[in-house]
Amino acid sequence: MSITDMPRRVLGRAQVEVSILGFGGHHLGEASSAPEAARLVHEAIDGGINFFDNCWEYYNGRSESWMGGALEGRRQQVFLMSKVCTHGRDAHLALRMLEESLRRLRTDYLDLWQIHGLSFDNDPDLAYRRGGVLEALDRAKRDGKVRFVGFTGHKDPHVHLRMLQMGYPFDTVQMPLNPLEYNFRSFERIVLPEANRRGVAVLGMKSMGGTGDVVRRGIMTATEALRYAMSLPVLTTIAGMQSLAVLRQNLQLAQRFVPMTDNEMIALRNRCSPMAADGRFELYKVSLKYDNPQAREPHHFPLDDKIKEVQDMFRRKGGVNA
Amino acid sequence: MNGGDPKPEMGTSSDPNRRDFLAVSTAVSAGLAAGGMSLAQERPVLTNTRPGQIPRKRFGRHDDQVSVIGIGGYALALAASYEEAERMVHEAIDAGVNFFDNAWEYHDGRAEEWMGRALAVGGRRERVFLMTKVCSHGRDKRVARRQLEESLRRLRTDHLDLWQIHEVIYENDHDRHFEYGGAVEALTEAKNEGKTRYVGFTGHKSPHIHLRMLDYGYAFDAVQMPLNCFDATYRSFERQVLPEVIRQRMAPLGMKSLGGGAEPIVQGALRVDEALRYAMSLPVATTISGIDSPQVLRQNLGIARDFRPMSAQEMQTLRNRCAELAGDGHLEMYKSTTKYDGALGREQHGYPSPEDMPL
Repeated sequence: MSITDMPRRVLGRAQVEVSILGFGGHHLGEASSAPEAARLVHEAIDGGINFFDNCWEYYNGRSESWMGGALEGRRQQVFLMSKVCTHGRDAHLALRMLEESLRRLRTDYLDLWQIHGLSFDNDPDLAYRRGGVLEALDRAKRDGKVRFVGFTGHKDPHVHLRMLQMGYPFDTVQMPLNPLEYNFRSFERIVLPEANRRGVAVLGMKSMGGTGDVVRRGIMTATEALRYAMSLPVLTTIAGMQSLAVLRQNLQLAQRFVPMTDNEMIALRNRCSPMAADGRFELYKVSLKYDNPQAREPHHFPLDDKIKEVQDMFRRKGGVNA
Repeated sequence: MNGGDPKPEMGTSSDPNRRDFLAVSTAVSAGLAAGGMSLAQERPVLTNTRPGQIPRKRFGRHDDQVSVIGIGGYALALAASYEEAERMVHEAIDAGVNFFDNAWEYHDGRAEEWMGRALAVGGRRERVFLMTKVCSHGRDKRVARRQLEESLRRLRTDHLDLWQIHEVIYENDHDRHFEYGGAVEALTEAKNEGKTRYVGFTGHKSPHIHLRMLDYGYAFDAVQMPLNCFDATYRSFERQVLPEVIRQRMAPLGMKSLGGGAEPIVQGALRVDEALRYAMSLPVATTISGIDSPQVLRQNLGIARDFRPMSAQEMQTLRNRCAELAGDGHLEMYKSTTKYDGALGREQHGYPSPEDMPL
């Protein structure tokens, strides 16, 4: 299989080409070992994926370390992204995190560096304040340590919208995109058009609702979910692929990707609509379970570990406590 | 509006997608208009300001005058006994309260029955502005009309002053209420038949769901929403819905001035008088307050009797004080969780009950 097998799309004026399927870094940290993780990364590259996602806080650095090890000798073949986890704190901390990410990823630059996990209504103000994380983005770009910058989040489209409208020239913005999503506090309806209008490239995630629960319950097939997400006007769709079986299934789908027609997309959204309107299949928008303890702590929001969802939150994060 | 989207816009102006985009743009412009400055420019205008009397305000575009504080029907039915609830109703009226809130589904009808019985004593019904809510939750207007007749019977009256669609909190609710044969038709009919003087809707979940309801151009007389100093910086009805309701000349009704379960008070983030005064200082017709005992009644009547609107600066100071804690919604659980969603509403939508939902 040659690496030209997967369709690509172009980012920005620099004409950087990115595969329509991106490799999620969080799930990589769930692989059984570093060699197993490397096997996944190598097979992904051979299958035509060049977009690699990661984040400073995933599994206390394990995701970045394993990806960095796997990319040795292949760094130039990929478009490498990681995220900074200041969660409202200042630019100095952001730049320290960048150095750690670079060291773990065994590289001297990132292709894309994003602010991780915008969630709370005051997050845009904290990012834009003097000395805030946006100043670190500027600095890192100026120093040649990152080529592009952006932000991510899964909670509230209006927080994303405000972040865009406050005017910083982001290159990318990452958000959940799937057919259920269209019907509930929708990033697709509220943020995607604004990002497209501003020329900010969109990275889709959670094409299967974050947990794959919608696929297990038979609400849609994995193929429908991924095809829907990839048919939107996005740069790439990031998917978590913790096993060779899942990786191979997604590679095949992306390699043979044919966009859905408008009518197919509408039919799928409509099928999902009646069960979408309270958000129970998109718990990342509505539940504490999908909040991040490392984001809540710097905000001084309560983390009562007697609450089951708070316990779930810590468990889901793989016991992070950096 | 969707200019950079390579997918062509589908359908015509009747396309629901298009309407949704319009609703979103209304939301955005309202948010921007309010952003950063004093949020609700308009100051409340008080009438009936004689010392010792609870002040009143005008009810939207109509001439009715309603008390700055309203008695919530849900909490009233939590009083120790009917007799205690009756004494509370009478004491409130004697103090100058005239706005009474209820809903068809509160305590399986007990809330309406108790209020109706207490108001029947001494012809007090004629002295109050009586509201209740219809709980069709997306079902058709026949259900709504049946509930209206039950509400009138329990409340022992032949007409309501205000009848509102209860708990508009799901993203597809606007479609259901406005579809042919839906609840909005029941509102119009009831008004035409003189069974209610005014109509409105309520909800505690999302300002954007309220804005979609307002986007239809239907002449609601009132819109009820949570308003408090945490709401001001978290998914804010004050910033996004209140200006639009005023623009459409409807009467804004505030609720959840203490954050629903009074959590901010319990946690010491705020005092009761600060919370109530803030809510009453917004340009609303009334602030509906959940009062479940004579002690709470006296406390809140006292705050209402002494009420002088906060200055714009006082309000901003309070918003700023609350902003840091407000950002994740843990002090406004009715927005951030399903714990305040009614079981009947969830059932009618085909959703699992609130107890089965994660926080």
